[in-house]
Amino acid sequence: MKENTAPTPLTRTQLGVLAALLLCAQMPLWAHIDRWISVVGTALVIARLVFPFDRSNLRNLRRWLLPGFALAAAIGIRVEYGYFLARDPCVAFLYVLVGIKFLEARGTRDGALLVCLALFLALTQFFYAQTLLAAVAAMPALLATGIALAVLRTSAAASEPWRPHVRATARLILQGVPIAALLFVLFPRLAAPLWGSPLESGARTGLSESMSPGSISDLSLSDEVAFRVEFSSAPPPPSQRYWRGPVFARFDGATWRPLYKLRSGQFVPPSGRAADYTVTMEPHGKLWLFALEHPTGPPHAPNPDAPAGAATEALAIVTYDQQLLAKAPITQAVRYTVRSATVDTFAALGNDASDNLQLPHGNPRTIEFARDLRARSASDRAYITAVLDWFRTESFVYTLSPDLLDRDPVDGFLFDTHRGFCEHFAGAFALLMRAAGIPSRVVTGYQGGEMNPTGEYMIVRQSDAHAWAEALLDGKWQRIDPTAAVAPSRIERGIGAALPAGERIPYLARIEMTWLKSLRLHWDSVNYHWQRGFVGFNLERQHDFLRDIGLKGAPPWRIVALLAAAAFIWGISVLGFSRLRRSRDDAEVALWRRACRKLARAGLERRPDEGPLAYADRAAVRWPAVAALIKAIAERYALLRYGPAAARTEESVAQLRASVSSLPPARELRAT
Amino acid sequence: MSLRPAETRTIPLPERLAAVVDTLGSIVVGKQTPLRLALACLLARGHLLIEDIPGVGKSTLAQALAATLGLQYARVQFTSDLLPADVLGVSIFDPATHAFRFHSGPIFHSIVLADEINRAPPKTQSALLEAMEERQVSIDGNTRPLPDPFFVIATQNPAEQIGAYPLPESQLDRFLMTIELGYPEPAAERELLLSGDRRVRIADLAPCADAATLLAWQREAAAVHVAPALLDYVQALLAASRGAGATASGSAHRGLSPRAGLLLVAASRAWALLAGRPMVLPEDVQAVFPAVAGHRLAGSARAGGPQAKTLLRAVPLP
Repeated sequence: MKENTAPTPLTRTQLGVLAALLLCAQMPLWAHIDRWISVVGTALVIARLVFPFDRSNLRNLRRWLLPGFALAAAIGIRVEYGYFLARDPCVAFLYVLVGIKFLEARGTRDGALLVCLALFLALTQFFYAQTLLAAVAAMPALLATGIALAVLRTSAAASEPWRPHVRATARLILQGVPIAALLFVLFPRLAAPLWGSPLESGARTGLSESMSPGSISDLSLSDEVAFRVEFSSAPPPPSQRYWRGPVFARFDGATWRPLYKLRSGQFVPPSGRAADYTVTMEPHGKLWLFALEHPTGPPHAPNPDAPAGAATEALAIVTYDQQLLAKAPITQAVRYTVRSATVDTFAALGNDASDNLQLPHGNPRTIEFARDLRARSASDRAYITAVLDWFRTESFVYTLSPDLLDRDPVDGFLFDTHRGFCEHFAGAFALLMRAAGIPSRVVTGYQGGEMNPTGEYMIVRQSDAHAWAEALLDGKWQRIDPTAAVAPSRIERGIGAALPAGERIPYLARIEMTWLKSLRLHWDSVNYHWQRGFVGFNLERQHDFLRDIGLKGAPPWRIVALLAAAAFIWGISVLGFSRLRRSRDDAEVALWRRACRKLARAGLERRPDEGPLAYADRAAVRWPAVAALIKAIAERYALLRYGPAAARTEESVAQLRASVSSLPPARELRAT
Repeated sequence: MSLRPAETRTIPLPERLAAVVDTLGSIVVGKQTPLRLALACLLARGHLLIEDIPGVGKSTLAQALAATLGLQYARVQFTSDLLPADVLGVSIFDPATHAFRFHSGPIFHSIVLADEINRAPPKTQSALLEAMEERQVSIDGNTRPLPDPFFVIATQNPAEQIGAYPLPESQLDRFLMTIELGYPEPAAERELLLSGDRRVRIADLAPCADAATLLAWQREAAAVHVAPALLDYVQALLAASRGAGATASGSAHRGLSPRAGLLLVAASRAWALLAGRPMVLPEDVQAVFPAVAGHRLAGSARAGGPQAKTLLRAVPLP
């Protein structure tokens, strides 16, 4: 690179503002990416500020150190995550990369590139969370972007050059809000996103595709929201709040898994008390949609105006074991409306009985005990009652920290330790049923839910995860929850009430209402409305909105006209009447600019600081043929703009206009 | 920059003013711009500081100005032992009348050339500069007005020369303009060498004006129209001078004061009048800006001139 084409180096201020921008963009990601990566990436940014690199050591940096840095970062991230081409490692790499780029940034062009990178980096946090907090956390980066762009364009001469830009940028952003809001509401939305947001395996908490001891108690330690529910009917009592999820029928002695085959089933007929509700589910990366046992129809996209059960597209199918499965993994928050009948039985299908009798090897004492007890019971129902009584009378302890059992875990749990969590009870119960010849399986899901006192909706958290059992009696599946026999308060009042004192319970699952918990619930309510109103503003809601304001199905020109009118009103209110009026007064300025543009296209540009006569002199030398005309234009303009007000007449403006119009086209001028 | 009288829509340039410019040009050869600046300075009722090495024609310029305009002229050579009384005058006891009689100093002339002002001690410098500001002199309790027009041309050697007391900033501020004459162009120098010292011709000059005409011109200069758009430009220049940090050079930097702004407008008006225009254009401001702002920005024309030109480049026309 030749010395004279070298970029003007970034000033201290420009470096400082860029660093602030990068830090603002990196900051929201601290919560999401690996600790050491965030430390390295941020340290690189600060390093550039602390050690001023001059030109010579910058060159060495560029040539050797930085490629090495980048490679090392890539390798380190690959090692840390175990893979590279996925969301997390790529975001982490970008995070470090902006620091490396900043380290070698020299001129304003590098600065502009960094602004683009920082904007992109600031957006990546929405891969992880689209909460109100995330939106707020993106604001500093947005503001810093505007300031950085302005500072990069300011000459080095100005001192204190960033302060005035703060206000200007903030004003620009505020002025843009109405346009953004309008476009947000009216811009056509896609029925489905163009690409799904990438989802990390195992990155989400939630129920899993199998159940082994510990899988649900792990989940119970999490305060995270699984889904929220708005009831349009009265919510069922706590003991009826069984949110059905994955069902497991295959047992290998330790782990419960679903059957291999997947068949569709039928919804239960409406009976008992009906509950109508809308679920807003957090993404969990699996297919399940949760519904109260048992739904009477498929889930639909919520539509407040349509009568319940109206024909809209179903969001999920129901399987033979009454799971609701969506068509694609739930990678974004989803809302659906379901109607359930709060019953605890439903009709079995043809080969349910044979599918749910399989017995694994091992656990001999359990099987022996079950056969013995069944032999002493009069009927299957009596046997079930006997088992539940046995659970109740034996000194079983409901605890989050049961002892670890490796061989014949059900035997160990039932006859030695007596300490278990709901998955132990449900699994053991199902095995006891099968050993006695009663088809049985394990159902996982959530049990309970807490009404948010502020938002009029119910929050179901991961700590509400639960497992229960089903037994096939007289051609009907009957829900039986052995945990209810051991710890009835778990069902009635939640996990916080059921666990013995001293157990580690998630804060929000505790039953006493403290101010902090109340605050958290309020915050959850705010976030819920954010999720519904903004993040969840999809095609359907847009249609609803357009219909509400009478634009549904309107011809496109009406929407365009509306937009144009809104843009006009916005322009007037933001840019102000004064500017409009001045533009008429400044007709000569517009005409002069036109003449200057024409001459500039012809190859002679006016310097920004060049006065009209000086420019006309230069132009006259360049184009002697039209020298007189150019000078006349400049003098007329000078008189109109700088002369006494009395000289400003319509006539003189018209003369200027005529002179400017009679300038030959730029093409002709260039040729001479 | 060359500015010719505009062909259309200008007031007719007073012919005698044109004659002044021509006559001056015949004495001080090849120095069009400094000459016009000096004349503009006079028309704007300001004082002029010429900063240059000896022998480039500083006093020739002063004498020629006085002769062409028909004004009284005095020259004070400033030295390290010059006293204020040597400049202002002194009261001497007259035994014949038994009273003090005031003997006026060289300051009581319309054009005063204060030669090598920075060789005198500060006390004497300030005596002169007070007179410049007040346009009157107080001696022994009597206030004596100075002639009107009153125009001081001070010259100073570059500060790095031996035996110079550099003028403090507050006193530099009294001068409307600081200019450099510089060496003549080769052609002008050849003409000078051929025809000998021009100073002898000054005595033969017929004056083109008198004090009353000059005062009328000064009033006319003050009446040249200044449009709001031009004031926008002046204010942008002032703001840029205040915002421009110490990045341009290492020297301590000063922004232009409101008074500097006023003087800049006055000088631009005079320049526009010289160009025969009824209103001030940005070009006029740009023409006088280095001379008006240079010594205010950096303490000397040599250092401030380039700074002022950079500033002009950086400020677009509004």
